[in-house]
This record gives sequence, C-alpha cells and structure tokens, in this order.
Amino acid sequence: MDEAISSVPMNNLIQSGHTVLFRLLNGETRGLKVDHGSAVSLGRLGSFPANALIGQRYGLTHEIQGKELNILPPRVLQEVEDTDATNELITDGELVQPLTITEIEALKQSGAHAADIIKAQIEQHANYELKTEYSKEKYKRRKEAKYMKAFTTVEPTLHNVCEYWFKKDHNRIRDLRPDTLSQMLNLGSIRPGGRYLAVDDASGLVISAVLHRLGGEGRLISICDVDSPPAYPVMAQMNFAKDIIAPLGTLNWATAQPDYAPAAPQEESSSGEPRSDRHRQRLDRRKLANDALQQTRNELFSGEFDGLLVSTEYDAFEVVQTLSPYLAGSACIVVQHPYQQPLTELQMKMRAIPSYLGPSITESWSRRYQVLPGRTHPMMSTSGTGGFLLHAIKV
Amino acid sequence: MWSTARTVAAGDIVIIWQTRESVQPLLITPGKDFNSKFGFYPHSDLIGVPYGSKVGSRNGKGFIHLLRPTPELWTMALPHRTQILYIADISFITSWLDIKPGSKVIEAGTGSGSFSHSVARTVGARGHLWSYEFHEARANKARQEFSDHGLADIITLTHRNVCKDGFTVTNTVDSVFLDLPAPWDAVVHAKNAMRKDCTSRICCFSPCMEQVLRTVNALNEAGFTDIAMYEVLIRPHEVNEITIPKLDDIVTKLKQSEQKREEKRLRQIANAGKRKREGSSENAVENGENKKAKTDGANVTELHRTSELESTSTSAKGVGPQALQGADDSASVNGAKAVYEVRGHTSYLTFARLAPIADEA
Repeated sequence: MDEAISSVPMNNLIQSGHTVLFRLLNGETRGLKVDHGSAVSLGRLGSFPANALIGQRYGLTHEIQGKELNILPPRVLQEVEDTDATNELITDGELVQPLTITEIEALKQSGAHAADIIKAQIEQHANYELKTEYSKEKYKRRKEAKYMKAFTTVEPTLHNVCEYWFKKDHNRIRDLRPDTLSQMLNLGSIRPGGRYLAVDDASGLVISAVLHRLGGEGRLISICDVDSPPAYPVMAQMNFAKDIIAPLGTLNWATAQPDYAPAAPQEESSSGEPRSDRHRQRLDRRKLANDALQQTRNELFSGEFDGLLVSTEYDAFEVVQTLSPYLAGSACIVVQHPYQQPLTELQMKMRAIPSYLGPSITESWSRRYQVLPGRTHPMMSTSGTGGFLLHAIKV
Repeated sequence: MWSTARTVAAGDIVIIWQTRESVQPLLITPGKDFNSKFGFYPHSDLIGVPYGSKVGSRNGKGFIHLLRPTPELWTMALPHRTQILYIADISFITSWLDIKPGSKVIEAGTGSGSFSHSVARTVGARGHLWSYEFHEARANKARQEFSDHGLADIITLTHRNVCKDGFTVTNTVDSVFLDLPAPWDAVVHAKNAMRKDCTSRICCFSPCMEQVLRTVNALNEAGFTDIAMYEVLIRPHEVNEITIPKLDDIVTKLKQSEQKREEKRLRQIANAGKRKREGSSENAVENGENKKAKTDGANVTELHRTSELESTSTSAKGVGPQALQGADDSASVNGAKAVYEVRGHTSYLTFARLAPIADEA
C-alpha cells in the first residue's frame, strides 16, 4: 500500500474558473470567481491579477504587493509573556491615538509596509506601554487585520464551504451547520458506490455533500420543485470536477410521479419527416433529453436505494411517504428541518407506520473555543442551532 | 465491507435490532441458534431473508428486525474493548478533516474500532486507513475484526507505540486522528507522515483541558496553523402526545366534587341524626370519610399528570379528560423535549492544518 505519492490532485490547485474562498486577516471569508486574465478585487485590500493565483496550491497565505502576490509563511500563535500590567491606569474615552487618518493615509501613499504603519501607531500610542501583554498582542493583531493586505485561500472542502454559507446566509441553507450536515451524511451512511435519493431545498448543500461523499461512484437522484435541473448555488464553491458530478440525476415532483406523462406527445420527435437539418438536430436533442428523463424515472421506480436525505420546505411526511417505496430494506432516512415542530409531527406519523424503524429526533450542539496560550476559553458568541434531524431505518 | 446483497446469506454479519436499547451484531452461522427474551431463532431461518425484514420467533415470544450493518449501527452494537467514539464526534472529525472517498488517513489508537469502521466506509476502496494500537491483545482482536468485516484491504493495522516509534508512512496521509493519552508526543511523528504538497489536517481527541493545552503548544511548535478547538454533542429529543386539559373542565370538576361532598355531608348528618335517634354516635367515622373524599379528588389529578408524561400516540388521549364529565374538548398537541439525561462531555476536539509547502519560485 506504500505506493509513491501521485502528483497533486487537480482540485488542490487553483484553476481558472474556480470560485475561490479568500479568508482575510479579520476572519471574514469572501467567495470570488477566478478567471484567467481577469483581476481579482478584494475591496479594501485592493486587487491583483487572477493569473498570479491560478496554479497555486489552496491553503497558502498571500500578501498583495503592487501587482504581485508574495507567499507568507503560515501564521502561528504567539506565546505571550505574563506581566504585572493591568488596566488600572487606562481610562476609557481618552484620546490615545494621535496618529490621524490623514497621517495614516500619507504613510500608505508613501508605500509604507503594514508593519511600519503599525509600528508608527504603537510609538504614538499614549497608553500602549500600560497595556497588559495580552492586550498589546490583541492590539497588534487588530491593526494587522486592518492594514496588512494578506489573505489565505481556503480549500474547497465540504466543511469549509458549509461554514462559509452558514456565516454568509444561513437561511438559504436552512440553518444546516457543518456539524449537523456531517451527522446527516453519517446517519445516511453515504459511501462511494451507494445509491441515494435526496430532496434539497437548501441551495444544493445536501446534493453537494452527497456528491462529495460519493467521490464519483454510485448514484444520486435529486427530486426538485422546478421543471429543469436547478442551479445549486452552493455547488459553485465546491469546484467539483466533472467526474464528481457524474452520479447526479434530476427529477422533479411531477416527473417523479408514476403516472406522469409528458405534455408534448412522444411521437412528435420520432415520426414525421424533419423539415431541415436544424429541425432534425432539435428533435434529436429533444429525444435524447426525453430518453434520459425516462431512464432516470425507471431507475427511481425500480427502487432499492440505500438512503434518503431530505431538507425540504414541503410537507416532510408527504416527501418521505412518496419516496420511501423506492428504498431498500434497511435503508437510512434522514430529514433535516430548521424548525422542530414539523419533525415532531413527522416523528408522530412515522412511528405509527411499521415500515419505519426507530424514528428519532436529535439536535446537534457545538461550541468553539479560543485556544491561545494562557487565554483559552469558549467563544463569547456561538451559533444557536444547526437545525434538527430525524433519522429512521426503512424496514 | 459488509454485504451489499439484498438478502441475508450464511457468513454475513447482521445487526439484530430488538429494541432501541438492544442492538447487537450476529454472524450468520447455519446450525447455530439465536436466543433472547424476544424468542428463539435458528440462524438457518434468517438466511435468504431480505435485509430490513421483521422476523417472528419460532416459539412465538416476539420478533426481531434484521438490519444491514452500517458503521453507525456498529457503533451502537460493537463489543467495547475501550471507551469508544460516538457519532457526534466521528461525523464532525470526518467533516473537519475532509475525509472522503480516496482519502489516506492515520488513526492512533485503534481502540474498539468505532471510528475505524466509519472512516473505512467513507474512504472506500480507493482510500486507505493506517491504524495503530499499542495494546497487543486489542490490536490482534481489531485486526481479526477488520478482516472478518472485509476491511483488510482498506485498513492496515500495526501494533506499535506511535509516541515512541512514529508511524510507518511518510509524506503520505491527508489526515491524522490521534486518540492517545499524550497526543503531543506524537505530533512531530504525525507531521512526518502527513503530505506536504497540499493542505493536510490533524485532530487530537482529549477529554481534559490540560491535555488540550499541551497539544496546542506542540502543534504550534511543529508549525501547524489554524488551530481550532471544538466540543460537539447530540441532544436526543423525545416526542409525546400531550393532553392539555381545559381550565373550565377542572373548574366544573372541582365544583361537582364539592357539590358531591356537600351532598354526602348532608346525607351523613341526616344518617347521624337517624343513628343518634337510634342511640349511637360515631362522629369520628364521618370525619374520616370526609378526608378520604378529598384525597380521591387529588389522586385523579395526579393520575392525569402522570399520563401526560408517559403518553404516546395512543395511550394518553382521553385517559384524563374523558374521566372528567363534559371534558370532551380538552386539547392535545405533539410535543418534543430533550431527554432527561444526555451525554454532557466526550472529549475536546483540537484541530489544526498543515499548510502546503509552496512551490519553489
């Protein structure tokens, strides 16, 4: 098993067309498309040519210097020496920073490096020496975040992308926090080669997650509420290669009904002389699309799927009841909802039906800690919810 | 891994689900029997049955469900050799470490193999797990188990003290998981094993804060970045149909009860008068009965409360309210609440990232 390391997988390198997550020093993360020949603009930090980034490894820290990017060494925690200083002599509201905005702007214009600006500020700071070492460290960090034009590219892992969306717009992903999402994938027992059904009204987060865990092997049929395959906004940041998306097939709630019949009669495409080459091409394309749809429908109806993952705006019980006939014995069912009540109702209804074994409701709780030498404590603010999960086994 | 066939075959490992609290693995061996308080089942009866079936016992004592093992069911059912990892931590670690099909992963120690099975399922045939266990007997047991579960190609198990001797691979793995008493002693070894051409990740699993602090220092000194520490817990909720009696009903009931008591008192006075006239006096009895009537009233209310708590979809509706006169309109709702006692702490999860080494400019 000790084979030589293969070359860097393509997805670990930033490629033209990728949507890259940029983490700034102040902790903010932005997602921007990086196209060959274009400029990447990071607002206050300025802009740089995309070509400087294309081909680089994900996860490096860069500093913008003019039109160039310099790679910075990874940032490590600073050991802080404990002193006797306290804030006893520091009074609130006093003007302690005589370096004016104009002076700072002048320094910036003169091309001074962020480190020089911060040094000048510290020298002018009336109370700096009165601060505790912890406080000095915090001050320096804050100023660095303000003046350093540095960013780290964030690898497009499922965890990072989910976290990005959770911070950016948790409503659009139905409050699915990374820990809750990870529990869905494990409770659903998603494995490469497995066959799954998913209902995703969470901007494609659930679909992306399952595709991520299929790794290009197996099958995923997504049942959606629009007439053509939806655009899944979350998938943009995942930067999936073609082979990872290959397992995905799409039906909508109408085409997923056994009695569905297309509004346009089938014969139109097969019988009758095409009027022109373009007409023939159009008919052929239409037939191809129709055949693909029929094939996906047949696949659904022949059943034996290994699991069902749901995060839906629709009635969860209707969704589960509609799709559970296509699940194999012992298949996993996982339903996420931002509100508890719909899952409470769902659990009540499911436990009256013998084909659902052990429907259970859980809620994930997670807390992040600040870990700095001598300053370790839980974060002062934390996310209150990642939604609720119901899981059961089809029997 | 485990069987993916539709039906159970001889030699399969199946999960026997008796109740939520009683989930156990079973190796299907023709000629053997499975016996429990839910009945008697010859293994041969289970062969050919589709996975997910409900099977009745030979002696009519009950039934079981035959499930296909998943790492999550295995975690519920596995024989404990050590303290094990549960789904909250396993799934979060898998997510943060970005373990996915094709990932190359290290874990130390193997323990009871709860995490190992989950990782093996997720990395699949294209990935690999190097698992290290310093306790020889446990290492041998786990090796046998992995082989029985068809994981021999995915998991390489080595009996070794990684804190002293390091790992068997270098510049290879995407992620490392350390569940060791002193993970800080293995951090530099872990760094050697991790790949440097792209981001690789580490997680250290420690129950105590003191361990976390030492680990953070070791990670920092070894050049790891983005050190982050988390706790993750799962709160199970129970769902009950709860009846909500109307205040009007209890007012009516209390009034009726008072009315009855008053009628009884008057009856007793009348009777006592009669008895007195007949020459006997037993006031003590009268007082006693009066007290008893009061207690009966309180009991009804108490019974009612109990039924709220224990109610399920069928049991509670009506028990309390219908016992009351004119109480047909008492409401019921489906309520969910966190279960009374939950796991409050497992371990702190300390994560860090090893940034790739940049290409030479």
